[in-house]
Amino acid sequence: MALSGMRGLSVFISDIRNCQNKEQERLRVDKELGNIRTRFKNEKGLTPYEKKKYVWKMLYIYMLGYDVDFGHMEAVSLISAPKYPEKQVGYIVTSSLLNENHDFLRLAINTVRNDIIGRNETFQCLALTMVGNIGGREFAESLAPDVQKLLISSSCRPLVRKKAALCLLRLFRKNPDVVNVDGWSDRMAQLLDERDLGVLTSSMSLLVALVSNNHEAYWSCLPKCVKTLERLARNQDIPQEYTYYGIPSPWLQVSVCVCTCVFFLLFVKTMRALQYFPTIEDPNTRRSLFEVLQRILMGTDVVKNVNKNNASHAVLFEALALHALLVVYCGSSNPLSDFVETNHRHKTKNIIKAHLDAQKKRILKERTAFKLMSFSASSPFKLLVMHLDAENEMMSQCVALLGKFIAVREPNIRYLGLENMTRMLMVTDVHDIIKRHQAQIITSLKDPDISIRRRALDLLYGMCDVSNAKDIVEELLQYLSTADFAMREELSLKAAILAEKFAPDLSWYVDVILQLIDKAGDFVSDDIWFRVVQFVTNNEDLQPYAAAKAREYLDKPAIHETMVKVSAYLLGEYSHLLARRPGCSPKEIFSAIHEKLPTVSTTTIPILLSTYAKILMHTQPPDPELQKHVWAIFSKYESCIDVEIQQRAIEYFALSSKGAALMDILAEMPKFPERQSALIKKAEVAEVDTAEQSAIKLRAQQHMSNALVVTDQRSSNGTPQSVGQLSLVKIPSMSGDVGSSCVEHTTADQELSQPNGTLATVDPQPPSADLLGDLLGPLAIEGLPGAAVLSEPNAVSGLEGVPIPADDAAAIVPVGKDTNSVQPIGNINERFHALCLKDSGVLYEDPNIQFVKASPRTALILASNILQIGIKAEWRAQHGRLVLFLGNKNTFPLFSVQALILPPVHLKIELSLVPETIPPRAQVQCPLEVMNLHPSRDVAVLDFSYKFGTNMANVKLRLPAVLNKFLQPITVSAEEFFPQWRSLSGPPLKLQEVVRGVRPLSLIDMASIFTSFQLTVCQGLDPNPNNLIASTTFYSESIRPMLCLIRIETDPTDRTQLRMTVASGDPTLTFELMEFIKEQLVGIPTAPHPPAPAPPAAPGAQPNTPAAPVTQPTNPAALSDPGALLAGLL
Amino acid sequence: MPVAASAVYFLNLRGDVLINRLYRDDVGGNMVDAFRTHIMQTKELGTCPVRQIGGCSFFYMRISNVYIVIVVSSNANVACAFKFVVEAVALFKSYFGGAFDEDAIRNNFVLIYELLDEIMDFGYPQNLSPEILKLYITQEGVRSPFSSKPTDKPVPNATLQVTGAVGWRREGLVYKKNEVFLDIVESVNLLMSSKGNVLRCDVTGKVLMKCFLSGMPDLKLGLNDKIGLEKESQLKSRPAKSGKTIELDDVTFHQCVNLTRFNSEKTVSFVPPDGEFELMKYRITEGVNLPFRVLPTIKELGRTRMEVNVKTNVQVKSVFGAKMFALGVVIKIPVPKQTAKTSFQVSSGRAKYNAAIDCIVWKIRKFPGQTEPTMSAEVELISTMTEKKSWTRPPIQMEFQVPMFTASGLRVRFLKVWEKSGYNTVEWVRYITKAGSYEIRC
Repeated sequence: MALSGMRGLSVFISDIRNCQNKEQERLRVDKELGNIRTRFKNEKGLTPYEKKKYVWKMLYIYMLGYDVDFGHMEAVSLISAPKYPEKQVGYIVTSSLLNENHDFLRLAINTVRNDIIGRNETFQCLALTMVGNIGGREFAESLAPDVQKLLISSSCRPLVRKKAALCLLRLFRKNPDVVNVDGWSDRMAQLLDERDLGVLTSSMSLLVALVSNNHEAYWSCLPKCVKTLERLARNQDIPQEYTYYGIPSPWLQVSVCVCTCVFFLLFVKTMRALQYFPTIEDPNTRRSLFEVLQRILMGTDVVKNVNKNNASHAVLFEALALHALLVVYCGSSNPLSDFVETNHRHKTKNIIKAHLDAQKKRILKERTAFKLMSFSASSPFKLLVMHLDAENEMMSQCVALLGKFIAVREPNIRYLGLENMTRMLMVTDVHDIIKRHQAQIITSLKDPDISIRRRALDLLYGMCDVSNAKDIVEELLQYLSTADFAMREELSLKAAILAEKFAPDLSWYVDVILQLIDKAGDFVSDDIWFRVVQFVTNNEDLQPYAAAKAREYLDKPAIHETMVKVSAYLLGEYSHLLARRPGCSPKEIFSAIHEKLPTVSTTTIPILLSTYAKILMHTQPPDPELQKHVWAIFSKYESCIDVEIQQRAIEYFALSSKGAALMDILAEMPKFPERQSALIKKAEVAEVDTAEQSAIKLRAQQHMSNALVVTDQRSSNGTPQSVGQLSLVKIPSMSGDVGSSCVEHTTADQELSQPNGTLATVDPQPPSADLLGDLLGPLAIEGLPGAAVLSEPNAVSGLEGVPIPADDAAAIVPVGKDTNSVQPIGNINERFHALCLKDSGVLYEDPNIQFVKASPRTALILASNILQIGIKAEWRAQHGRLVLFLGNKNTFPLFSVQALILPPVHLKIELSLVPETIPPRAQVQCPLEVMNLHPSRDVAVLDFSYKFGTNMANVKLRLPAVLNKFLQPITVSAEEFFPQWRSLSGPPLKLQEVVRGVRPLSLIDMASIFTSFQLTVCQGLDPNPNNLIASTTFYSESIRPMLCLIRIETDPTDRTQLRMTVASGDPTLTFELMEFIKEQLVGIPTAPHPPAPAPPAAPGAQPNTPAAPVTQPTNPAALSDPGALLAGLL
Repeated sequence: MPVAASAVYFLNLRGDVLINRLYRDDVGGNMVDAFRTHIMQTKELGTCPVRQIGGCSFFYMRISNVYIVIVVSSNANVACAFKFVVEAVALFKSYFGGAFDEDAIRNNFVLIYELLDEIMDFGYPQNLSPEILKLYITQEGVRSPFSSKPTDKPVPNATLQVTGAVGWRREGLVYKKNEVFLDIVESVNLLMSSKGNVLRCDVTGKVLMKCFLSGMPDLKLGLNDKIGLEKESQLKSRPAKSGKTIELDDVTFHQCVNLTRFNSEKTVSFVPPDGEFELMKYRITEGVNLPFRVLPTIKELGRTRMEVNVKTNVQVKSVFGAKMFALGVVIKIPVPKQTAKTSFQVSSGRAKYNAAIDCIVWKIRKFPGQTEPTMSAEVELISTMTEKKSWTRPPIQMEFQVPMFTASGLRVRFLKVWEKSGYNTVEWVRYITKAGSYEIRC
């Protein structure tokens, strides 16, 4: 750093460092900023040295976190300075202070370009770094060709080319269209021949990005990749500086492997549909690839050196992955069987994607060397387990390896080992092998590192099944008392779920949960004890046992409030079953519960009151003493400040004095309808690492609990069940806020049903600020979360469900294939009509439903995300420019996207090219040019289809290019109006009709509807306040701009009918406009303004035949004014 | 007696604990961490002196570079707590020789602990009077009980001192020259609109005394306030003198003032403590003589250029005539944040642009009455990237001191000293008016 010469800067920095506190620092900074401002403003200008110094100071102040909002000009101007120190600061400050959308960057582009194409390589490097760091659209457009040239030029030094490759990668990631495929793929292949490993590593990164975007074009690079790998692994032909602990450039090896994997995965995926499998055509290449991989697999051994281990393992894992792929796809074994299950494919991809994301997070934490390992360690096992099911030996080797990992001391490795083992759980075969390590995993629960504890918990949760459930749950319970507070809630939740799922018998389950509440009451959410209540209610044999247990716990001196709640509830319901046992008479139970009353909070008191009422009811014959006691309590709470308590007290008091009638009202709770445990749902929500856990969830679904007592089988066939029912239906003791949160939940969900009840979609997460939403700006879009979120089958509770769009001729509801169909969200019709009035909005939105076959009994719905079509339009005279925003909210791309416009004769519509695939979580814009040829009411239809998974989705949508879009409001005065109106006499230029069945609208509402259709309502032209005059201009290609005049006469006594007269210079226009307005007035599904209902009084008071004269107020005085004149003309 | 503190902490500006004293067990020792993280490290510092975090209330006050934090968990008397802090600081100052800052605390470590033990007990404030405490908590060495020489000083009787009728004064004081100093110090708070309308104005004043008197003198103070004059005219059954009478609000007296006599005779009579003390405090809201009038005119020209013209007209009321001077007048004229260049012309004093506080600071050391110095300044702004919201125009602030002038017009009519021995005393009376928050909107 060239600070040595700048005394002012170092003095300033040391001043700042010497500041005692923030306030002093701020004062110093403000003073300096004032100084800089004065200097920059100085007319005499600055010497380059001063400029440099002050810009450095600015940067330093900016880095301290203060707002620097001036001086960017100076910074940018430094870029063009001839000397290195000045140029350097110019570039650094520009890239840190400005963002890609900054106007000032335009000033810099030319200088940057000069630097890039110049001969000075240090300047080239600076410029490339800056371009890479900012990487905006404008930079990409104007500089990408130069960067490309630099990358392939042979005259440049490797240093520059390396930077050029990375810069291009960066530009490409932001704007994928900057690299045009034609021709570049060959260049890319040439690049792989590069001898310099630095350049090669950078280009390989670039290649990985390019390939994942468009793999077919770069297929030719594959042999080159193999050759590179060969060169590295077999020939060890690399310079000394690129070996890392004796391993030839592990980074490059890894990225080559990754690249090849990506190649295969993508290629295989697209080809699979055609039942065509790729092979590497050249057998030599294939053989050499296998050879290299074998070599890597065999040659890796564990040594002492950590760094070496990391590096070699990174390569090993990557090689394993590639090997696995090759075996599956290119090898001679029977690959067909693997492809039958198409579901797998998506899973793989999602998981890999999610992994890469997850890895990124993790990587930040790790050291560089470790990065390699953790990066690479993620995918191979996945791939292995996905595709090497048959190779059991391999699997057990893997698990053995992982077992070794989780036993080592190094926490990072342990973490990865546990994590990977969790992932391996997806494969059923390995379970038994993993179980061998159970003891080791349990030890990991006591690890000092909480992230390892969490992983261990996840793994235990995942590996639990009927055989080891008891051990694991007991272990968890034991661990609970010593566990971290941060983990306790999750731990208790998981223990509860496992206990429920794998309970060998029901009493054990009740035992476990009660123990759980006892040990970690604070961390046991309400859901857990609700579930117990539900279980006990549904299982009659369990009731006495549970009640007895609850009674036991009540005897303990200090029990948690949750325990009070659950015991009170259970005893209230079932204490009569214990009546014979010692200490269980109603009176004793009552006093045991009542003892706890002073210690509990207001949410528990209602439960206790219910319990008292129940006890009272069960006491037959009534015990007057007990009754008196309970009544005293009730009357005490009758004036409680808490409404819930008060109401209960009053009601129970009134009810219990009714005697026998009480029996019917307070009878035992009926059985709950069987449903999926809310706990599992909660656990899923709680899990951050969604993709990671999807596998576990999958498995969790496979193992249907044998403890579940199913009252009916609905839950097993994928029919949605209500999550909220537990709170919505019964349990009188439910506190208010739980109920409300349930309702909220259901409102948040966009629920939708099909008549046959096979399908439901949910949006279980709050709207996320996603890409699409950002781009579409004002459009209200509910974001759906990533595709990897396995959402629960949810209920058609019908509470807030969006009404299903009626099968409407115009809005064609896509015809689905029975189970895998697509349903739009919201009413297409409504959206269309809204868009007729607005210029931007959402035209269509659908959830994309995908079924993952988990087991024959459970079909999980992957309620993944929406395809969304938004529209933004601009209209000028007869021309229109629409932009279709096709948004894919999935985490995997949509394929075979096709959009076809079926224009009516009067419209000329040109749709620009719609890309075949919409990348994941991306939005594609398709501009659409519309020209109006002649007036017509017909509507253009967009036929849109795409493919997700194996299912085609097809949507036909009306485009909101309707008549009124070509209208432009015009105000006419009385002088203009009347001659025009008179000159257009009679049909076909002037048409009149009585319209009946109009929705009753007040005149003001009608006027506002007209205004929204671009018709100007001319006030005061008509003396009759019940009449409306409107004017507009119509634009089309065939006729000149045409003035249209409309007159509406309404009947104040009957708003459902009106007489309409339309006049224009063109007969078709008159007719079409008339029909158009009629349509709008008669049948707008949703009015833009809520209709102000005017109570129709005495309909038919006015004769309304077309021939009948208009009844005008016969005011002789009015004859002189223009309105009256008009009336006469009519 | 109200609880004032469960614990007292002294922190430096970085948040390190210099000294702390826990008086009760109801707050944890680590509560100060909560203060540090929730108040000191956020922007809320200085916005509100009382904050509640996690069931504890924090009262804090900054004095030079020390934060004094009082932590209580019970329902404490806030005013009492703050009064305690103020008094304690005054006490420390008198012990440390006037300075109270981080260094003073570090240097007087032991002494402070000793004092903290003395001035508060189990959260209840105790005697904070420096005069009395200095008798027992001394900074000198302690004489060994075995030393042969008998003490020539009488051993002070603490119990009598604290519980006696005149707890604030020791008996047997002898001065060669009996002197009384009396200062009336007033600070003027003003908020004026740019058009010159007074939006808010009040004066807070203090009567400070310093007594070097022998024996047990009885003092009587007469001011030209309304109640006192009315009473006097009643007693002497003659009409009140023409001339201005002042209406004092919120008068508070030192504990030495005999309130029963004040209530019956409306005169301030007292047996003063020895040395310095604050006799009374008062507030005046009506009939304030403003020492300065400021007439600013500020014009913003264009988007980046702004010309600031400030014309300052100062009018000293004719009560004192042109012979008086104001000292240390500082006028802070705010300028926008993006100020790059300033130029001024002043008819007297000197002006400077201070970027750290975004103000032009105009200083006039000696400001004669009945004069009208002006300053015109032009400020150039630098262009910025972001379109800033328009400048908020903070008010012009002023600092000054005008000796021998009271903004309220309060005068001392008489100060009588009566003692058994009937010695002669010399009385000195001074007046001074300072600026409190003297702000003029522009």
